[in-house]
Amino acid sequence: MSVAARPAARRLASSVGFLSTSTTGTTSSSSSSSSSSQIPLQSRRPFSSTPAPQARREPRSRFRAMRANDLGIAKQSNSPVSEEQIDDFTKKQFPKYTPAEKAELARMYTPEQIAALEAGEATINPRDLTIQGRLRTDIYRMPYIDDFAEHQPIIDKRAPASSRGRRIAPPDPNARFMNTDEFVSDLIRWADKFRVGEPTGQLKRLEDFVPDEWKKVKEGQWPGEVRDEAHKEFKKYLQDEINKAAKLQENGGVVAGGPTDADVLSYILERSVMTDKNIQTQSSLALALPDKVPGVAGMYKAAIDPADDGLDETGVFQDLKRKSGMSVQEILALQTKTLVMNRVSNQTRMGKIGSMVTMVVAGNGNGWVGLGYAKSQEPGVAATKARLDAISKMRPIKRYENRTIFGNVEAKVSGTVVQLFARPPGFGLRVQHRIFEICRAAGIQDLSARVPRSRNPMNTVKATFEALFNQKDPEEIAMGRGRKLVDVRKVYYGGATQ
Amino acid sequence: MGVHSICNALSHLQNASRAKLGLTSIPNTKYNLRLALALHRAGFISSVTRAGLKPPPPEALLTFETEPVTSANVSTRRLWLGLKYFNNKPVMSNLKPVSKPKRLVTADYKQLCKIARGFHAGHVKGLNLGETLFLSTDKGVLEVREALEKRVGGLVLARVS
Repeated sequence: MSVAARPAARRLASSVGFLSTSTTGTTSSSSSSSSSSQIPLQSRRPFSSTPAPQARREPRSRFRAMRANDLGIAKQSNSPVSEEQIDDFTKKQFPKYTPAEKAELARMYTPEQIAALEAGEATINPRDLTIQGRLRTDIYRMPYIDDFAEHQPIIDKRAPASSRGRRIAPPDPNARFMNTDEFVSDLIRWADKFRVGEPTGQLKRLEDFVPDEWKKVKEGQWPGEVRDEAHKEFKKYLQDEINKAAKLQENGGVVAGGPTDADVLSYILERSVMTDKNIQTQSSLALALPDKVPGVAGMYKAAIDPADDGLDETGVFQDLKRKSGMSVQEILALQTKTLVMNRVSNQTRMGKIGSMVTMVVAGNGNGWVGLGYAKSQEPGVAATKARLDAISKMRPIKRYENRTIFGNVEAKVSGTVVQLFARPPGFGLRVQHRIFEICRAAGIQDLSARVPRSRNPMNTVKATFEALFNQKDPEEIAMGRGRKLVDVRKVYYGGATQ
Repeated sequence: MGVHSICNALSHLQNASRAKLGLTSIPNTKYNLRLALALHRAGFISSVTRAGLKPPPPEALLTFETEPVTSANVSTRRLWLGLKYFNNKPVMSNLKPVSKPKRLVTADYKQLCKIARGFHAGHVKGLNLGETLFLSTDKGVLEVREALEKRVGGLVLARVS
């Protein structure tokens, strides 16, 4: 008996009334002392790692047997339980409905449901509940106690169109999101409930600001200066009214007729954005969190920089903008190209978890180029991340006459060797497609390349970058050797480069 | 004159240069001396000094009074070469023998003209940016551009960059 070892069971027992606090205390103390006295001392060295039978714990069961006297049914321990005791317990724990309770039930449920309840009551003998019943306390127990007020889509069948006297229609299958015109008319319909100003007759109109002889004439026939004067006065009057209302609201007053914050919140939360006429329907979907809650709207989102001209609504470039010092317009003007996109997978005990890995080149077409690398489960996200990475890693490369490279360069990454060769003007880019894109982003026009060994796409790109960044610098060579180095091309052609 | 001592000297200089040594020595032979002087003229090394098994003091590298070579000390003479570095990188990082004891490679004036412009000629590949060739000619060991100036060809010793 281990009531003390199972707090949940003890809690249930005490809540139901099986155990008083004093019995709980005695039971726990007696059980703990008896269990400690039962464990034998290990006097000999065991020959096997299996514990001796008497040292083993009792077979575990999720539902331990409880004695009737521990449940309060039997008065004395070891005495057989009498029928009277069982009946007493049954009457106390599972009493029949009183007439008052039946009346209350009849108010809540339909006659059919009442009939079902009564049939259930008649079917199950309360005595069986006492003898055989078992109250589950585990977390997986079913929530039987339910007043059926809510429709649970997983458990319940679809509710009929008319239940409990209130008509709840199924969702309109043809409903769609409102377009701009429908939304505006819906908003006006809602706002009409809080009509202020003109319909109340409290506000002045434009006609009130013209001399009497023009009041009955339509606006189109007013002379120019009269109309201008009237519009000016009317505008001033409206501004005054707005200021007055704002001041009143600031001082805690309520502007008569206007929607309160609660109305606005209810509009945002509860008003349907579909063309279903805002009728409540059965739905198992929880309400979504509102996009804009009055009072806190705009506090959790970074303010959009007006300098971006609305080019970065999602804010993906904000971080890069801060790091690089470039404007969004400049960032968007850079050339980027996805060079490599591979699917990779991580083998875990949950299975293979796939990701997309991307390499992107970015350049300004004028000597700056960068390589970005990113991985994500979503290809689009990986491409975006790699693009930002590439832009942030842009560095200048050396270009001879702003069109080709200095000398011939070779770079090796793993088994991939990339050889780049400087070429004369007008030669073009006779290179493979990935190197072509890199050259285009970097602003190189004349180049040839060989990839004599492995043509692994990723290593080709990496080796090309390594080669471009590791060009020899003629100035550095000249200074290192202490010799004068002359560009013969410039000597022969008088320095003309084109 | 065999080129094996030249090949050994080239390998040693490449190793010493990549190990960022300031001063190193090669055996004192006439061929090595001519190559060292050619490298010095081309700006690859900072000093050429003949001394014994111990290097001359660094502060006196350029003003060192060399002992005359006698039959008594000839076996201990060595050529001490000062290596150059710029921007934390060796000025001379690649020395590759072209002629080897097994195969001597020569290039005449016409071929050298092509090679100096970056085109292949014979067994020699064209020069890349910053590369030079050293040749053994009738007029001594010369860099390729000196040979072109003197209009001579000869035995191609090394490709240095």
